[in-house]
Amino acid sequence: MTTWHADDALLADYVAGDAGPVNGASLEQHLLQCSECRARIATHQPTAPLELVWSRIRQQAEAPAPTPLQRVLLRLRMPESDALLVASAPSLRSSWLFGLLACMGFVVLAAKLGGNEGLAFFLLVAPLVPVAGVALAYGPDVDPVYEVALGTPYPAARLVLLRTAAVLTTSLPLVAGTSLLVPGLGRVAFTWLLPALAFSVLVLAASTWFRPVQVAAVLGAGWAGAVVTAGIVRDLTAVLDPALLVGYAVVGIAAALVLRLRLHSPTPPRSLL
Amino acid sequence: MNTTASVELTGITKRYRGTTALEGVDLSLRPGITGLLGPNGAGKTTLLRILATVLAPDAGVVRLLGRVPTSAEALAEIRRRLGYLPQEMGFPRGFTGFAFVEYVAVLKEWTARDSRHEEVRRVLDLVDLGDVATRRVRALSGGQRRRVGLAQALLGAPDLLLLDEPTTGVDPEQRVSLRQVLSTAGERSTIVLSTHQTEDVAALCDRVVVLDRGRILFDGSVRDLVGTARGRVWLADAPDPQARASWRTGTGRHRNVGALAPRGSEPTEPTLEDAYLLLLGGRGQTTGVAA
Repeated sequence: MTTWHADDALLADYVAGDAGPVNGASLEQHLLQCSECRARIATHQPTAPLELVWSRIRQQAEAPAPTPLQRVLLRLRMPESDALLVASAPSLRSSWLFGLLACMGFVVLAAKLGGNEGLAFFLLVAPLVPVAGVALAYGPDVDPVYEVALGTPYPAARLVLLRTAAVLTTSLPLVAGTSLLVPGLGRVAFTWLLPALAFSVLVLAASTWFRPVQVAAVLGAGWAGAVVTAGIVRDLTAVLDPALLVGYAVVGIAAALVLRLRLHSPTPPRSLL
Repeated sequence: MNTTASVELTGITKRYRGTTALEGVDLSLRPGITGLLGPNGAGKTTLLRILATVLAPDAGVVRLLGRVPTSAEALAEIRRRLGYLPQEMGFPRGFTGFAFVEYVAVLKEWTARDSRHEEVRRVLDLVDLGDVATRRVRALSGGQRRRVGLAQALLGAPDLLLLDEPTTGVDPEQRVSLRQVLSTAGERSTIVLSTHQTEDVAALCDRVVVLDRGRILFDGSVRDLVGTARGRVWLADAPDPQARASWRTGTGRHRNVGALAPRGSEPTEPTLEDAYLLLLGGRGQTTGVAA
């Protein structure tokens, strides 16, 4: 039992590492015997580092771990915040996944039908699958966070572009792979990709003004009309004539330029809510 | 306190396929909390959407935080200083509370990961959701989901905070806690609170705007609105058929709002709800309030 107690200045110096070797060793000996000073020295412990440690623990625990897709995108040097937005696209995917599967069903049906009917099915559906993917990647019809996102400075064109990238990397190879299963497609098995890409970029560019779903619907109706007309007037593959392919490329490039201009502008207020 | 107007609306009109949502609305707001009251379809949500720059008016001039949101630059500048909780808000499948607020934080240009995480935690703690931040939003109660929505609106301590029905489904204890958050925020920010909860307006707002059929019926202090009902609310032993609204209270007496001093009645202090009912003329409002 001791009657001497360390004063506050000594305790504070010790905690700060400023007590010196002699005073420090003496105080340590005293602390081993004195519960009162042990209790008092605890009050001199700075809380800031503790709070910092706790804050870091919480950060580790609460922040969702990067998904495998996020990790891949980070390795590809995509900015961390953009990777987060892209990775969120799969959580919105149920609607477009359904559309994609339905379209795939049509393509398989086309393969089964074969001949002219199979070709007609393929031409009607395949170029519109990626377009549907783009349309369902963003907008009031599919995005539960749409209205909140619209009120932020983040440009919708950039958001939809990032999500579209995620959608297209899955839908395009799927449809392209399936097209190889459809008999008698010839060069159509590859040339359909050009209007598909041009239309996708067009929907992207137009989505900075209009609802993506509306643009895709108009485009889809136009394409279906063109295929049917071509089938009646000449032959179905007329919609993929070399001259028209050049036209699709021009439309795609023009839309890409518009998109580039709009990419950094915040989305204007909409009259669609 | 900043006394320049943060919101200036002049002649705002908005129509949806022939239905008039707003008709020539003029409104000027300064920092503080303004309550927006009105029956369903009065135009409250449309007004908030216009203030949130997500909807363009058909006519009129909007000036927010000193800028007119017509150029891309002005829009971005306003949206950086804006927090918005829409009336209906969905949550993407699989998102935790933290992930959802973080997603919105990225959209609000919090690109640096550490400071973004710090800010997300700050706003989740503000709405008392720190403990359930790792739970999936869809597994949370309605009141907790509403608070997740409020948390994203509070990101970055916005200068203009627009809240559409923020306390829907929130339990009384949490509502009081949210009032504390909002009253603190209202000391420096301009807050517009659209609600059906007159008690929230009475407790929080220094100013109240009542909308009906797209027009402003009243714009003034809560005290002035309550004052319009003074001498028109009575407690009596029986309901008064002449009253705008009448209901039996927990004490067994009948509260007659808008009555002309029926026999045996005694005057009572009006509430904001009474004044609101009288202002609207009691049209279709009595059943919900009398319960």
